[in-house]
Amino acid sequence: MGLAAQKRVRTIISYCILGFWSFILLFPMYWVVITSFKNAIDMSIKATYMPFIDFQPGLHAWHYLFVDRLTWFLDPFMNSVLVAFISSTVALVIGSSAGYALARFDYGGRNNSIVLGFMSQRMFPGALFILAFLVMFRELGLLDTRLALIIVYSSGAIPFIVWVMRDFFEGLPVEIEESAMIDGANRLGVLFRIAMPLAAPGLVAVFVLSLIGAWNEYLVALTLTFREAITIPLFMTMQVSQTGYTEWWNMSAISLVSVIPVVAAGMALEKYITGGLTFGALKG
Amino acid sequence: MATEPQVYPSKRPRFEIRDNLWKWIFLVPAVAIILILLAVPVLWTLYAAFTDLHLYRIGDFDTKFVGLANFEKLLSNRSFWRTARNTVVFMLGVVPAQLIIGLTVALALNNITRGQKLFRTWFLMPLMVSPVVVSFIVGRMLFQEDIGPINDILRSFGFEGVPWLTSPTWAMVALMAIDVWQWSSFMILMLLAALQGVPPDLHEAARVDGANQLQSFWRITVPLIMPITMTALLIRIIDAFKVVEIIMVLTGGGPGQATESVTLAIYRTGVKGGDLAFGSSQAYFLLIVLMIFGGAYLVLTRRAMGKD
Repeated sequence: MGLAAQKRVRTIISYCILGFWSFILLFPMYWVVITSFKNAIDMSIKATYMPFIDFQPGLHAWHYLFVDRLTWFLDPFMNSVLVAFISSTVALVIGSSAGYALARFDYGGRNNSIVLGFMSQRMFPGALFILAFLVMFRELGLLDTRLALIIVYSSGAIPFIVWVMRDFFEGLPVEIEESAMIDGANRLGVLFRIAMPLAAPGLVAVFVLSLIGAWNEYLVALTLTFREAITIPLFMTMQVSQTGYTEWWNMSAISLVSVIPVVAAGMALEKYITGGLTFGALKG
Repeated sequence: MATEPQVYPSKRPRFEIRDNLWKWIFLVPAVAIILILLAVPVLWTLYAAFTDLHLYRIGDFDTKFVGLANFEKLLSNRSFWRTARNTVVFMLGVVPAQLIIGLTVALALNNITRGQKLFRTWFLMPLMVSPVVVSFIVGRMLFQEDIGPINDILRSFGFEGVPWLTSPTWAMVALMAIDVWQWSSFMILMLLAALQGVPPDLHEAARVDGANQLQSFWRITVPLIMPITMTALLIRIIDAFKVVEIIMVLTGGGPGQATESVTLAIYRTGVKGGDLAFGSSQAYFLLIVLMIFGGAYLVLTRRAMGKD
């Protein structure tokens, strides 16, 4: 076989592998979309696969979610939005300032140890924290509040942000900042007017990753909240356990509403997100 | 010209006086938050592990130190060892599968040019979905025993439907499938980044020297992608040891205790049962295992790669 033919065969095999794995990833998503348009009858006898062919799609699950039970769903949805956005913003401001400081100032030659100290948080299993958090927030009277989740999620996101942003700021030229300071700008102005805008791609990546992390988190939310402050993942599992009998179509509609915003954001910012996700290992 | 560099440093102290303040203002909030929310729980849990602390007795001031009693209880607790075994089995099932899928798909992805960005973006999707939703969609819906599509397809080919959630073994397989579905993407993207760091002229040179593709893969690609692969594996192994959310949603640890992980056991003991002391000792057991394992892994892989 000639080289060109060999190469063509390899390309065809590659596309087959990619197509196969894409299908594996696609099928569950397809399933949840069609299920959200199914009626009880379409799921009571056997599996149905194709809308209009083996079942007649209907909008009743979406009607149920957005019309009949909107208020009941809106609370956890708003909790998730508020908790995710506030905790990520707090973490971004505090974490990137620290990342900047560790990139620009000298802390007695211990900068790397400080960063490692931050990262050591990742080694600790979440199970280690939930018991202490439960007692801490109970003593503070913060159980079942959004504030408790905001505190935990911001502190959870800060180490990662410090780590990524320190590296990002180190890659920026220091001369621009120095000349701005010679012109009379102070450090705060330099950070917010010069360094942060230049580091925008990194900031976007870590912000969206923190947002997704907070949006999807379950174990801490399960431990600390139970009624008023519940987030979407918790709300979903409560539906399953409360009804016992699962209303698949309604659950599918809720899943989609909870998944679409983060998946869309993540995929739209693919370049930055992949960079943020793979950052650690590429450095190590 | 020679004096110019000296003018500059002489101006610096003025900025550094101001910066000595900013230097701390920027760093201290992050350090303070992490100290409070990392160090306090870690130390408190350590303390709790040596006491008889119980959630419903906090504030009674009669908490006693019990020495190593919790750890003795732990080591002789068959139910805990069962969860430890489940966790290890889960890890040994998912990590190699993710490595194989990750490497295969990453090689395919590295081999094409048209549509590469499209596939890369699509492969990111599972990583954005919450484990709860994944467990619900992939797990509860697809593996549903009566009308789920997987059993339906199996039956249409003449097989028996698999008791996915009622059989201990198959429930574990279903959980592994969920984790593989979600996290293979992580290996794919990491390994793709590694593969793209391999200079193409190396393969060209090897081909000119008469090496075949397999030799070129084993002698050039594998050693060069090894460091990233090892780090990615370590991250996945540690995450697999901490598995809990998909189990809570899919099986709740059942049938019986067949799929209960260590983290789920800690949640059950400490949060649900209120036995903070025993829960804390389990959490520390998990931490110690992770640290020994992670440390040994790093030392061994560094040594192995140093020899290459």
